[in-house]
Amino acid sequence: MLEIKCPHCGKRSQNEFAYGGDATIKRPKLGEEVSTKDWDDFVYFRDNPRGKHQEFWHHVSGCRQWFKALRDTATHEIFNTAKLEEDL
Amino acid sequence: MQKYSVFSLIKNAFSDHQNWDLAWKDPQPKKEYDVIIIGGGGHGLATAYYLAKEHNITNVAVIEKGWIGGGNVGRNTTILRSNYMFDANAHFYELGMKLWENLSQELNYNVMYSPRGIINLAHTDGQLNAYARRGNSMRLNGIDAILLNREEVRKMIPFADFSETCRFPIVGGLMQPRGGTARHDAVAWGYARQADAMGVDIIQNCEVTGFDVENGKISGVRTSRGDIKAKKVGLCVAGSTTLLADKLNMRLPIEAHVLQACVSEPVKPLLHNVVTFGAGHFYCSQSDKGEMVMGGDLDGYNSYAQRGNLPMIQHVLSGGLAVFPNFSRLKMLRSWGGIMDMSMDGTPIIDKTHIDGVYLNCGWCYGGFKATPCSGFVFAHTIAKNEPHELNEPFNLERFHTGNILDEKGVGPKPWIG
Amino acid sequence: MTGTFRTTIESNLINKSKIVNFIFNGDSYQGFEGDTLASALIANGVHLVGRSFKYHRPRGFLGVGVEEPNAMVQLHEGDKSEPNIMATEVEITEGLKARSQNCWPSVKFDIGEINNILNRFFPAGFYYKTFMWPKSFWMSVYEPIIRKAAGMGVAPIKPDPDRYEHNYEHCDVLVVGSGPSGLAAALAAANNGAKVILAEDKAHFGGSLLTDNVTIGNQSGQEWADETINHLKSLPNVIVKNRSQVFGYYDHNMTVMFERVSDHIDNPSEFTPRQRLHYIRAGEVVVSTGSIERPLSFGNNDRPGIFLASAATEYMKVYGTLVGKKPIIFTNNDSAYKAAIEFNKNNIKALILDTRENSDGDLVKEAQSLGLDIKFNSGVADVKGRLKISSATIGKLNSDKDSFSDLEEIECDCICMSGGWTPTVHLSSQAGNKLKFDEDLDAFVPNNKRQKETAVGSANGSFTLKQSLAEGFQVGFDLSNSITSNNKNTTVPTSKESSYQAHDKFWCMPLPEGKKPKRFIDFQNDVAVSDVELAVREGFRSIEHVKRYTTLGMAGDQGKTSNLNGLQHVSNIQKKIVPEVGHTTFRPPYTPVTIGTIVGREVGNHFQPTRKTPTHNWHVENNVVFTNAGLWLRPRYYPRGNETMSDAVNREALNVRKAVGICDVTSLGKIDIKGPDAAELLNRVYTNAWMKLPVGKARYGVMLREDGMVFDDGTTTRLSENHFHMTTTTAQAANVLSHLEFYLQVVWPELKVNVLSTTEQWSGAAIAGPKSRDLMKKLFPSVDFSTEAFPFMGLVETEFSGIHVKLYRISFSGELAYEVNVESNHGLFMWNKIMEVGEEFGIQPYGTEALATLRIEMGHVSGPELDGRAVPYDLGLQGMVSQKKDFIGKRSLEKNAFVDPERQTLVGLVPVDKKTKIPEGAHLVENDKASLPNPKLGHVSSSCWSVEYNNPFSIGVLKDGKNKIGQQLFAVYPLKNISIPVEIVSSHYVDPKGERVRV
Repeated sequence: MLEIKCPHCGKRSQNEFAYGGDATIKRPKLGEEVSTKDWDDFVYFRDNPRGKHQEFWHHVSGCRQWFKALRDTATHEIFNTAKLEEDL
Repeated sequence: MQKYSVFSLIKNAFSDHQNWDLAWKDPQPKKEYDVIIIGGGGHGLATAYYLAKEHNITNVAVIEKGWIGGGNVGRNTTILRSNYMFDANAHFYELGMKLWENLSQELNYNVMYSPRGIINLAHTDGQLNAYARRGNSMRLNGIDAILLNREEVRKMIPFADFSETCRFPIVGGLMQPRGGTARHDAVAWGYARQADAMGVDIIQNCEVTGFDVENGKISGVRTSRGDIKAKKVGLCVAGSTTLLADKLNMRLPIEAHVLQACVSEPVKPLLHNVVTFGAGHFYCSQSDKGEMVMGGDLDGYNSYAQRGNLPMIQHVLSGGLAVFPNFSRLKMLRSWGGIMDMSMDGTPIIDKTHIDGVYLNCGWCYGGFKATPCSGFVFAHTIAKNEPHELNEPFNLERFHTGNILDEKGVGPKPWIG
Repeated sequence: MTGTFRTTIESNLINKSKIVNFIFNGDSYQGFEGDTLASALIANGVHLVGRSFKYHRPRGFLGVGVEEPNAMVQLHEGDKSEPNIMATEVEITEGLKARSQNCWPSVKFDIGEINNILNRFFPAGFYYKTFMWPKSFWMSVYEPIIRKAAGMGVAPIKPDPDRYEHNYEHCDVLVVGSGPSGLAAALAAANNGAKVILAEDKAHFGGSLLTDNVTIGNQSGQEWADETINHLKSLPNVIVKNRSQVFGYYDHNMTVMFERVSDHIDNPSEFTPRQRLHYIRAGEVVVSTGSIERPLSFGNNDRPGIFLASAATEYMKVYGTLVGKKPIIFTNNDSAYKAAIEFNKNNIKALILDTRENSDGDLVKEAQSLGLDIKFNSGVADVKGRLKISSATIGKLNSDKDSFSDLEEIECDCICMSGGWTPTVHLSSQAGNKLKFDEDLDAFVPNNKRQKETAVGSANGSFTLKQSLAEGFQVGFDLSNSITSNNKNTTVPTSKESSYQAHDKFWCMPLPEGKKPKRFIDFQNDVAVSDVELAVREGFRSIEHVKRYTTLGMAGDQGKTSNLNGLQHVSNIQKKIVPEVGHTTFRPPYTPVTIGTIVGREVGNHFQPTRKTPTHNWHVENNVVFTNAGLWLRPRYYPRGNETMSDAVNREALNVRKAVGICDVTSLGKIDIKGPDAAELLNRVYTNAWMKLPVGKARYGVMLREDGMVFDDGTTTRLSENHFHMTTTTAQAANVLSHLEFYLQVVWPELKVNVLSTTEQWSGAAIAGPKSRDLMKKLFPSVDFSTEAFPFMGLVETEFSGIHVKLYRISFSGELAYEVNVESNHGLFMWNKIMEVGEEFGIQPYGTEALATLRIEMGHVSGPELDGRAVPYDLGLQGMVSQKKDFIGKRSLEKNAFVDPERQTLVGLVPVDKKTKIPEGAHLVENDKASLPNPKLGHVSSSCWSVEYNNPFSIGVLKDGKNKIGQQLFAVYPLKNISIPVEIVSSHYVDPKGERVRV
């Protein structure tokens, strides 16, 4: 079981968290003209790296805050977690 | 090639099995091939086999980073079925079932296809209705399906939980009688042996490090064992697709996730069918060796590790005991993980690419094993004819732009949500 | 009798004053408290225990602990029956029953042994080469025979009556294994103030100190171990656990241990768990798991009576049991001489065969001084005795060690063999440690670690006591100090031990000339030297291929005694060095773990929580039939007298249409949305417009995923300018909340909104039917229920007996309806009041089935339609999609496939005969007799008996449905051979203009 440091609450076991996927994806702005390719890139396409991966986690059974983590997808090591407004 | 049979087995027994041929050779890579298949898993080996057999293309190499059959074909739970709702999936996997039925004889290698029936358990009437929708669709597609009521399920798996205290009682199930299992390693080895016999070079311990693309056309691959020229290159590396696609500047609708499975110790025959739990993540079959082969859900975060963590096993096995409370005193012998190419609609991609001569076979999610024959068959067609077979036409990459997505589960582009 | 095979030197680890009776294969035996089933059977001269997996060869005991591949038994009977238990791991209890498995009719005479007679026809992988003709025979003949012959024990068929528990622990230093290095590490870490857990798999602490003649300080090894353990137990910062095996090392230093809590107790209390699973998150893990002795390969080396030498020693010293009285010690190293010396203490002279030219290790010298017969350059070629060895064919090895000379047959009743030692690196490897091959040891040892795991002692390849203690104390101090910084060092005690000479890297004996007995490597799976050779000959070169083709190391013991020998044989044949061949992956668990232990208390009714509404008991008292809706129990219908389900459902639904009904709607998700940008959030989340919704009014909304598919629907009410109350479907409640939180926190942090789940805070009852207003008036006389004052989709807040009540005029049934919401603790009170007042209006409760009837008649979509694969257009919800604003998922709706006029859209369906109910899950086709595949035009998603028109009615989706109204198709249900001609009608079957809700 992973041990994840919620930037708000501290280290907790993974079963308090829900995964939120790739954190490098930026949603196009509301009302903005967006090409089909750009939109589909946002909805469906992923970098999917082996190694360092920026991702969202949600402390669902805790403070219910979403935050970012930098985790290695090959070893599962978590290098850092950060509040949304902070850099990883 | 030596023919395998009970007679050859007896004959060889009298020479202490000293005279068996190599199942496949261990050649040095040639300078050039008509087709290079990257990935010596089930799909890659099957593709090479059908290229040779169906299209008479034998100047083919299968190149494999490690040892053949070491990826998902060697670490899955061996379930075969075509119980899909969408026509595109149904027809495709049904071709697979037809190929499975004759595969041992065709390959002269006992892949132990065993149509023991797969039962999806339903735990509410609503769920049974949803299964009926799928079952009726299967029947209209000419695929076998039976709707079972509670008593019919009880006859098949009397030791399942039919008690009053059961949290999610079994109300019935959908069964595909021809669904079943096969011996996973044998599939890879059987295809390898026949492909090798028809002239395909199977090259192990050979890692692809790059591609040579000239004017939008493939000309060869670079490997840890030197550069190899090729007119066409097929990627069959589910689990690692992104890593190779990166080298071709292709971004894909795929995430890598780890799926765990486990087996119990072998016990005498108890469970005849393949059973899936409908109120949690658990499925199970009993292998010929006697082990209960069990699996469930993804660990739930992007991963390239062929191992997972215990809480997911615990979650899956709790579903197991919800169905089979008598399994509590069995012991888990071994658990392992495989990397899944999770596509964003749960359906594979078999297609040409933007690079002339490069073909893509990926996105198999949890379901690649059963597709081994049909995937190889249509992928070989796609490579040989440079156009998709009608059965893989719907599995194009373009669907993520047109909207013709094939989302059987209806969960959307979040593969980690089960 | 407690057995005639007992030592004269008594062990203090078994209690000879307490006799334990047990039954094996129907015969009664006696042992002592502290005996394992293995030691007690051996003491009684019983060596034939089971049959092997493939060839059904007679098998006895090889080892003394978790390494045991042969002595697998079926334990207990009935619902407590348990297959595949290592007899070496069972502590006997009074009345214990065990029996041999994988044999019929008996372990002495097993029909399955025919496989052994025919074993030349069954080499590795034979089943891949045959059983292919005729095709139909695989499933009907061959496979059933194979399945019956395979398997080992028998699974129970009844639920497990025992209970299992889980525990979560955190510690600074976890020490796995209580041998000298583990004790040293635990002591050093504990003395330095760290929180320590020391786990020992066996019943006794001490590991090799229990069997080695060594001195630590001025005590014997065992005395030092006892004292150290007692000291550790007395410390508040130390948890000491025996019978506890750390079996898995997972990510982020999470280890998992199972504890055998009551298996060894005669009559445990029913409240004592059988086993306990401990999730231990450790700061540092010391892997002091020791090492396992390797067997030697020689002809028929699997016969009962052939032991690992270390096992023989442990049986004598720990259990006071003699594995034989006429022993041969057969070794390629010094350690096996311990067994000979121990036999000698019991006045038994062993013959020693040593494959080496010589050795002047202390133990060898001691054996020589005791006058024992030691034959160097010698080995066992073959043995005789099928059910128990009776003699060994021994001989001189030639200088190349590829043949024997001077063969002679020597009578014996046991062989104690040693092929060297394998460090137990499982946990290190599981932790991600890249192992390295140690040429001297001829084995893999931990090297580059990835997690906070440190191997010490023989698990680290350090085989002397001095090294083990030094490593243990140093590592225990270093690791603890990195956490506590106490700098409190513990002095390493002096120690005395025997010196050892290098072992012989030779373990596979040549065959005796002219004979080809099987030389086994993997005992349980019957993998012999010849099988490994065959695999390599056929091109299976990778160690993983060899493993899979031969099944080497894939049995219940997971190759603890066989993997390394197999690997070495593969490298020898291929003339490669071992590291080039590599090793197979070490997978958890270390030994098989009971599934019940892994699952813990999440069994039976506790598999998942059950969510009950505040009025749950009222429903029960009123003869409800519940249905599972996710984790909720919801009333499905309330049968009266002899009513069938459809009788009851029709009655309940009709009562809503004609009078008034009450339905528990508490399980609907509720989210409180507050903040100056609350309306803006809704505007972005829902497809329709929200900015201008007046205070006190509700609106129906549909939300999409970014891929354009309908995600959820519900009504949301504006409670005040900046405060909304959202409802969601029962199924998606949690997902919608996470969805809102994601967009608020991640995507649009500029929005000033807070969201909070209030699902459990409110108890809701829907009051529906033409008489609902009359009822409401009487119940809340102070409220003006006129449509002007309280219009459709209106909200009124009031009080009832001092309780705050929220009244929403919303309707899912399509009738005039209100929803009464009170705080949960008043839910039952309110419900009772409604029933009381409603009696004169003919109120009846209705469940989810009647609710479904009512909403289907109205053409309202619900779960079966919202299947995650429909865009709004498909469900007739295009009118809900604003063209003027952007919202989540809007851009996806432009996709070609989503605007295809051929898409399947929502329609109503009525059987032409107006009688036959159309089953849900049927498909719509033009021709029900067409050849297959028959193209599907759509399907039936929800069906009911229309109580309004007294005929069946369904809704479903149909290709180009809008333009097919009035046409006839077939609803087919091939699973039951049903075909029903149906007419396509509008999905709004009842009250298409929606007038009733507005009256």
